[in-house]
Order: sequence, then C-alpha cells, then structure tokens
Amino acid sequence: MNTNFSRLIGILALAAQAQSARAELKWEQTSVDLRPGFNDKQAVAHFNYENVGNTPVHFKSVHASCGCTTAQTQNEQVAPGQKGEITATFNIGGRTGTQVKTVTVQTDDPERSSIVLTLKAVITPLLEFQPTLVYWQNGEEPKPKIITAKANKDAAIKKLDVSSSTPDFTAKVDPGSAPNEFRISVQPRDTTKAVYATLTIKPDSPANTGNMFSAAARVMPSAPASKSTLSTIRHDLATPAATAASPSQ
Amino acid sequence: MDLSSRNILWRIVALIVGGIFIYAGVIKAMDPVAFANDIDNYKILPWPLAVRLAFYLPWLEMLCGLALLLRSFYRGGLFILTGLVSIFIVASVVARARGLDITCGCFGHASKNWNFSGHLALDLAIFAALIALWISSPRQQQEL
Amino acid sequence: MKASAVRQALLLIALAFVPAIGEAIYFRDKVSWQSPIPASELVTVDQARSWGDNVIWVDARADNEFERDHIPGAILLNEDRWNELLPHFLGQWSPERKIIVYCSAQSCNASREVAKRLRDEAQLKNVFVLDGGWEEWLKDKR
Repeated sequence: MNTNFSRLIGILALAAQAQSARAELKWEQTSVDLRPGFNDKQAVAHFNYENVGNTPVHFKSVHASCGCTTAQTQNEQVAPGQKGEITATFNIGGRTGTQVKTVTVQTDDPERSSIVLTLKAVITPLLEFQPTLVYWQNGEEPKPKIITAKANKDAAIKKLDVSSSTPDFTAKVDPGSAPNEFRISVQPRDTTKAVYATLTIKPDSPANTGNMFSAAARVMPSAPASKSTLSTIRHDLATPAATAASPSQ
Repeated sequence: MDLSSRNILWRIVALIVGGIFIYAGVIKAMDPVAFANDIDNYKILPWPLAVRLAFYLPWLEMLCGLALLLRSFYRGGLFILTGLVSIFIVASVVARARGLDITCGCFGHASKNWNFSGHLALDLAIFAALIALWISSPRQQQEL
Repeated sequence: MKASAVRQALLLIALAFVPAIGEAIYFRDKVSWQSPIPASELVTVDQARSWGDNVIWVDARADNEFERDHIPGAILLNEDRWNELLPHFLGQWSPERKIIVYCSAQSCNASREVAKRLRDEAQLKNVFVLDGGWEEWLKDKR
C-alpha cells in the first residue's frame, strides 16, 4: 500500500514537472524586410528572441537557404529569461529586385523544433541597363543601338562615362526620356567581321565607391549555310496582321 | 504614255502586288501557330481572337491576291487589301509607340536586315501601289 | 459585271472562311485555342544531349562549387558576381545556340533566377533550365 501510494505520488510529481518544464522561445519577428542602399554590399537582419519558458533552449542548427546568406546565433544555449538574437547576413552580390532568403533554426524545443526566419530585401541597384547586350549580325547595317540606363534616384547621378574595350565600337551618352535615365547609343565601325567589346560604364555620383558596370556589344560571326537564311526569309515574310513584306533581298 | 501602255503598266503592278499577297498568305497559312504568336506580340487583340484571325487572314490575303492577278472581283480585292495594310501600318506604329520591340514586324524572330522604318516604308509603298491601282481601275469591267 | 467593290469584298470575305475553317479543323488538336502556351523552360538531361553541340551550359552555382567540378565547357554565371561574369558570358553567346542553366539541388532557385535575368536583362532567347540540375547530370555522366 505504501509503495503504491508513493509510486502514485512519484508519477504525479513527474507529470507535474513535465507540465511546467516548458521551453519557449519567443520571437520578436520571424520575418524582416530590408531596403539596403545601393552602396551596401550586405543586408543584415536581426531576429530577436527571448526564452519565456523555464528550461533552457538549445540551438541544434542554424542553416541558411543559400550560400549567399550566413546566419549566426549569439548563444548556443538560451537560459530561461535570457534574450538574444540570430543575425542573418545576406551578401547581395549582383542581385537585384526583391530577394527572399530564409534561415532554418532547429532547437530542442519539442513544441517548435524548427523555425523558419525570413529575410526579404528589396534591392535597387545603382544602375540598371536594358538590354545588357547589343549586337549586330554580320552584314547588318551598322546603325546605332540603344541601351537604356536607369539610375537609382537616391544616387543623384548626373553623368555616365562609357568606354569600349576595343575601338571597334563607339558609345555616346545622352539624357533619357525620364529623370535619372540615360540613353547609351552604341555603334560598330562596321559589321564585316566578328568583334566583341565590353562597355564599361562609370557613374559620376560622388557617393560612388568606384562602382563600374558593364554591358556588352558584339558583331556576330557570319551566319552558317543557306538553311538558316531560308528560314529567316520565311520568318521575315510571316508578318502579323494584315500585310505582306516583299521578299527580303 | 498612251492608254494601252498605261494599262500594261498597271497590269504589271497588279501582278506584283497580287503575287506578294499570295506568297505572304501561303507562308502564313503553312504555320498558323507562328502567325498567331506574331499577332499576339502586338498585344492589341486577346489570344483567342488572335489565333482565329491567324487561320482566317492568310486565306483572305491569298484570295485577294488572286483577285488582283485574275482581275476578277478586282476592286473588291483592292478594297480589302488596302484596308488590311492600313490596319497593319497603324498597329505597327502603335506597337512601336508602346515600346514593343517589333523589328520587321516579327517580334523575336531573327530580323537581319529589316528595321522598323525600313519595314514601314515598304508597307507604305504597298499601300500607295494599292491606292494607285484603285484609282486607275475601271468602275466596271470594260475591255480586256 | 456591275458588282460594286463592297459587294465583291463581302463575297471574298465570305469565301475566305471556307478554307480557313477547313484548316482550323485540320489543326484543331495542334493549337491552343484559349490561351497562348508559354514555352516551358525546363529541359531534361536527355533532351539537352540530343541538342548536341548547339548548347551553351551555364553554371549558376557559387564559385567554389564550380571550381570543384562542372559540366565540361560550362560558363560560370552566378548572381554573386553577376556584373563581373555577365560580359564574359555574353562574349561567348550566339543566337543560334541554346542556353541551359543549371545549379545544384541546394541552390536550385539560382538557375531559374539566372535564366530569368538572361531573358529579361540581356533579352536572350532559347534560355532553358536543366531539370534536376547538377545532380541529374552526374547521374547520367558519360
């Protein structure tokens, strides 16, 4: 009788303990939006947490979704009542637009063993080009083609300096149709032989950290065989809507 | 130039223009899906309409081209072709104004030598030829 | 024949329907009548092989992964060093060739991102993504 009773007490005590032995990591936010400046090479998100439970929480792993993001935790072990943060550092590289990177955190908390932290960064680069490649077919008329450059409006870029890696192409910059827009006019000397040039574009912005951007210009090698010429004529003639083009020369 | 030489001249122009439209119609009829995509690239018509038009228009072009050649339904053919060319010219200009890169009218197709203005000039020339044929054609089929 | 131009035109318009409908019936299963079919960007390793020499391989993975091993002849083009690597790739490209971008299962959004940027920024056509990525290629090697 005694042993049964004490066993019962023991079980109840154990149960009571299990109930109150809660670990709980509370996150201030699990999703952070960032707007890095055009000169920033990294975007850093801080994910703050607090252990509002009464047992320590242990981080088993902190793992980012891609190689461009690293994540670090201040402490491996979080005592009850302790606060800390996980820092996610996103290396922007050449990325643009809206980038979403996640960090998956594994803990020993049985309730929530896996948490996903999200870093959302909206990147507006210093300069964007459309298109980044202009090219001419062999024998095509060497008329200028336009690359439109859009500058980040916070950068206050007044001028762009464009140079070609070979003298086979010339480049000229004019203001574009909208503020912070430029028209880069590229022209080959001739289109008789295949040439490739990198166009280096330097903005004059004082905040500029020596950023250089590039686009490409090419004259393609002469097209192989009559088979492709025939299919080109076919395509040239299949003009839409109502009219016909006369057969190309 | 006397009347018969002028007639021969117009006959030749009609043959050339008619031939162009027949050739173009045949090419488009051979690949209606490609033509449907070309129409769609102008972003003026919804796809279901574009695809049905892609099946219909080439045959209309061919018939009208034939009308010019055979001098049968001649003015009717001229009337339609003139209408089609005008619509196309307007559509090209509108597409260009909207910033759609339609070179040679063939968005995405290899357009080696035709740029927008060259193509437009050509279409205007065809348009002018059609108008000229219209003006010079008799109201009724008279002689031969 | 005193038929007016308009009447002739209407007749031609009506007449054209006959072959047009005939052709539409002939092609009825080969055409998407309701919506344009977007070209799928995925290709399998087998499809890629069937294209033979006409392919430019683009490796969208990180530098160290590329250095370790890559598809023979592949050009490195990742977003980390996009501005640096892009001109080099553009110098190798030509319109007749098909571009296939790949990455590893770890970073597999990278190939789609790179493919999208090549289409949007450089306005290239025939840009595809390798289904299964680098791992799929390894499986099939030789």
